Amino acid sequence: MELLEVKHLNKSFGKKQILKDVSFSLTGGKIIGLLGKNGAGKSTLIKLINDLLTPTSGEILVNGKKVGIESKKVISYLPERTYLNKQMKVSEVIEYFKDFYDDFDEKKAKRLLKDLDLDIEERLTKMSKGMQEKVQLVLVMSREADLYILDEPLGGVDPATRDYILDTILSNFKENASVVISTHLISDIERILDEVIFIDKGKIILQSGTDELREKENASIDDIFRRMFKC
Amino acid sequence: MLNKLLKYDLKYMIKNMSVFYILTIFFAITTRLLSLPEQSIMISIIRKISSGCMIAMIANIIINVMMRSWIRFRDSLYKDESYLTHTLPVSKNNLYNSKFIQTVVFFFVGFIIALLGLFIAYYSKDNWEALKTFITTITTGMNMRTSFFIAIAITIVFLEILNAIQCGFLGIILGHKMNNGKVGYSVLFGFIIYLIAQGLVLGLVFAYGFFDSSVMELFKTATINIDVNAFKILAILSAILYLIIIFVMSIICKIELNKGVNIE
Repeated sequence: MELLEVKHLNKSFGKKQILKDVSFSLTGGKIIGLLGKNGAGKSTLIKLINDLLTPTSGEILVNGKKVGIESKKVISYLPERTYLNKQMKVSEVIEYFKDFYDDFDEKKAKRLLKDLDLDIEERLTKMSKGMQEKVQLVLVMSREADLYILDEPLGGVDPATRDYILDTILSNFKENASVVISTHLISDIERILDEVIFIDKGKIILQSGTDELREKENASIDDIFRRMFKC
Repeated sequence: MLNKLLKYDLKYMIKNMSVFYILTIFFAITTRLLSLPEQSIMISIIRKISSGCMIAMIANIIINVMMRSWIRFRDSLYKDESYLTHTLPVSKNNLYNSKFIQTVVFFFVGFIIALLGLFIAYYSKDNWEALKTFITTITTGMNMRTSFFIAIAITIVFLEILNAIQCGFLGIILGHKMNNGKVGYSVLFGFIIYLIAQGLVLGLVFAYGFFDSSVMELFKTATINIDVNAFKILAILSAILYLIIIFVMSIICKIELNKGVNIE
């Protein structure tokens, strides 16, 4: 059974069609880059998978089931914005995740936060945006999920932190789980990707293994992307 | 999962409301302490200010619960926090139920605090007797038992406020559906729904009047010489109608939420 199946998915806002007949599927145990320019439809697609948007038509199946309570149990999602209640302390947010997600590993979360020198007794409101994003990443990666969906996890962070984030992602996802990373900072993540999906103007224009693609085009994924999306 | 959601919704309200509860009791105590038999003009002025502050705090408790319930509902389901709320493995029905129960609980708490404040500030044998006489005058005129009058009056006020809050919830849901993120539509829809709900209660009471001439008299006559039993029927009928409307509206809210959301 496919981990994620998207079938003929369309999404419009008013008269503007954002996603056009998107179909693809993902299996477990891979790191997939969802790559496209700004406004290509990456975040819309991710929000649809996470039940934050309602499809205009089409179907999304996670482990063969429609998006809903069961899919949310196995998807760990990192949005592009800070979404935690800022009145809470980090320790309270850990408690919150522990309460709602059976697969949440509290010990791992605390260890990762300690590695990052983040005080769990500090309120989120007292933290910088960058620190809040790190807390969110730790929480998301501390789940033993089947599918991790990370929307622009590298956006707005310095190169050193980018490396830390990528290492955190690489070393903390469950075996046989898949990770979908949406970004346009391809050169930073290219080394960790097993598969890429190129999305442009709401359509999937390419889905391929990274090694095959590099071999076929005799170029890096970053170069291929630049060539395909040249303005 | 409802109990877990409720735990966090109640925590949020406690954090935000407890300061007002404390202030209400604080002003009630100062009002009581300053109610000396022989008091200077200065003490009298401070007592009046303290008393005024306590009344303002009681009004604030009611208004604040309404406002915070709406804000919490909107933030949790449609703002940044919704990215977490809608990705939790819980049903939309439970998301709604939690917000609704939270509102009910804090109205009860607010009501108890208000009563406690009034009791601390103003209780005396004379005031108690005056209140009893006042209520007895009304209940005698309306041919009701005192306990029934108090129970039905509290119930109707409670349901009326709950109805207003729920109109707000439905307004927020429909407003976001029509015009994502813009608060104007939510307010407009909430207000329209409130007017419809009130009109519906009035219309149904009027319709009942066709089967009960004493109730119809309430609509037809401008004098106060009407059947006192009509008030009793009117009160019970209003409470039942409010309950039905609240129930129906909560179902509509859940249906709309289950159709899915579109978070910006």
